[in-house]
Amino acid sequence: MRLLTLVTIAIAFVSPAAFGQSTNPASPAPGNPGGVPPGTRQSAPGMPAPRQTNQPDRTFIHAAAVGGLAEVELGRLAAQRATSRRVREFAERMVRDHSAANDRLGTLANTNGIALPDKFDEEHKAMRAKLEQSSDAQFDRAYIEGQIIEHQKTAQLLEYEIGSGENAELKNFASDLLPTVLDHLRMAQTISAEMAHQAATEMPRKEMPRERR
Amino acid sequence: MSKYPKTAAALAVASLIAVAALADPLPPDATYRPLPTQPLDVVKALDEAQKPQVMQRQQALLEQRYDLSNRPIDNAMMSGGRKPVQDGVRVRLATGVTWDSLSAMSPDEIRQRGLLPAGFMPLPHVKQATGGQVFPNQQIDEINRQESRNIRRFDIDFDLPDQFTPEFPPPIFLTTHPELGDVSHGQLLTIKNYYQLMIGIITPVQMEGLRLLLTPFPQEEFNQTEDRKSADQSLGVTCLDCHANFHTNAAFHQTPDVRPQAARFRLDTVSLRGMFNQQIHGSKRSLRSIEDFTQFEQRTAYFNGDHVSAQRKGVNLPDRFDQVPMMAQMQNIIDFPPAPKLDPLGRLDPSKATQQELAGEQVFLGKGQCAQCHMPQTSFLDNNMHDLKLERFYNVGQTVNGLVTLPDGPIKTFTLRGIKDSPPYMHDGRLLTLADTVEFFNLVLGLKLTQEEKDSLVAYMLTL
Repeated sequence: MRLLTLVTIAIAFVSPAAFGQSTNPASPAPGNPGGVPPGTRQSAPGMPAPRQTNQPDRTFIHAAAVGGLAEVELGRLAAQRATSRRVREFAERMVRDHSAANDRLGTLANTNGIALPDKFDEEHKAMRAKLEQSSDAQFDRAYIEGQIIEHQKTAQLLEYEIGSGENAELKNFASDLLPTVLDHLRMAQTISAEMAHQAATEMPRKEMPRERR
Repeated sequence: MSKYPKTAAALAVASLIAVAALADPLPPDATYRPLPTQPLDVVKALDEAQKPQVMQRQQALLEQRYDLSNRPIDNAMMSGGRKPVQDGVRVRLATGVTWDSLSAMSPDEIRQRGLLPAGFMPLPHVKQATGGQVFPNQQIDEINRQESRNIRRFDIDFDLPDQFTPEFPPPIFLTTHPELGDVSHGQLLTIKNYYQLMIGIITPVQMEGLRLLLTPFPQEEFNQTEDRKSADQSLGVTCLDCHANFHTNAAFHQTPDVRPQAARFRLDTVSLRGMFNQQIHGSKRSLRSIEDFTQFEQRTAYFNGDHVSAQRKGVNLPDRFDQVPMMAQMQNIIDFPPAPKLDPLGRLDPSKATQQELAGEQVFLGKGQCAQCHMPQTSFLDNNMHDLKLERFYNVGQTVNGLVTLPDGPIKTFTLRGIKDSPPYMHDGRLLTLADTVEFFNLVLGLKLTQEEKDSLVAYMLTL
């Protein structure tokens, strides 16, 4: 019992946001207590104790982990295969940023006693297969288009956790990550627009039929 | 060789990925309202225990952002003559900058250095994760006194200080009886008193519309199920619980038009004055008639745009051929408050206006570019939606008290007639005074107004 108290104090010290009744608006806001599962042990009213996640928390951890795994692995693939320097740099940044995020998520999942997926799901398997099958000329475009979709989904997933999650540390993680993910999305959109522009300028000029009046 | 096949192949790959992405979507409660997991008494106990902290968080946020002191403008009252209009810029600046030095910077510089005043950013709901309608105490108390109906929540209270809300109860002006002036008798219109107040003034059709607008119907937080925020089994809310006397009492909500929950921005109740000239309705939905809006509010203001939840809690669906037009016709006879200094085309009468007000009108029409959207001749409306692109000035995606700050996107132009009567300003109420709105647009539109020009604009807006 004393050990448990010590551990609790130690964890609380490391991340005060997790258990706090914080009145700082920048700290994770309390969730809707209507979504706390019955029988949840709480460290403060409506604030689940460690290892007491609700369904959205668990859904979030799982989806975020698979997405993070894919980001790193597909980023490594793209860092090797991409033709354009900008796409390679983007891929390298994805490996760097998402590795850091995955580590943090891994620690949080561990603290909450949730096993993280270590394999791709069907969706990401399909994405990897497409990238592996695409020719060198197609690769950059395919990777960036996939990244736009991935980051759109990740942004919505993080917002989902911020609103529907209960675990303060996980909500904090989602809040911290969201600006970076939106930044990645903007970068991917910019690269995609540049590639479209370049493709358009490289298109052979075709004689246009004269307009009828 | 032509590059078309390659492009086509790349597109095909992209679209295959898109199809595959559909295989693993977000959970349903990212869009739909989840059913509660606990009985009401448990949720209520948790909510009540959280409430002091929840209110302190929002109070800390407001104090960080604004000067909340009570400083009225001399001799400037709202149209009923009962409440003064607040003076001065209330949004706080970051340390080390002035309004002039800020407006001399580029949007990029302001974004990179994090200097956009926090009060210009989207304003969170008191409890973002739960959301829902929140009424000011005056409204709660008066409804309780007249109807014995409870619209008080156990989880949160209204957040803004009283001096930054419209006068209560607001006066009512009718287009059908300009000679009468305010017909409210200083009372809040309710189901209990509407008939005696309006008999002999409005038509049978308008009377029936008014009755419907004052009849309570179940709502997301006020209903009979376990998923509610009123202590008792609530009779529900009425349209005019927020649009008090067809104006506004600054009750707030969240937009029904955005998901997930953390991204739903706050909505400050809009006045219904001048509805007869307004062509688009809803800050995001741009519905094309007041009939459409009246009908659909039973799904949106009442149930957050979740028709599934509405069905469970007992939605009221007003009949489109009979009831909705009556409700609409009642709303369409609500006039703006009198503006004795304006001529029939919405311009200042030089024989009545002061030099400062006239100077303000010149800034409004010229350098300030206000009239590009707020056109005097069409009730200071352009019946369009515009995107101010505020996100040029800050990094998107920050979470503030549970709200994820994202670009607002296009929002409809609001009228400026009677604007001194309807603080707080902007669709979410993020600005507390007219002087705040001047600084906001000075920055967002890059106007570089002088202090004299800014002061004259405020003086001008008080005449509208």
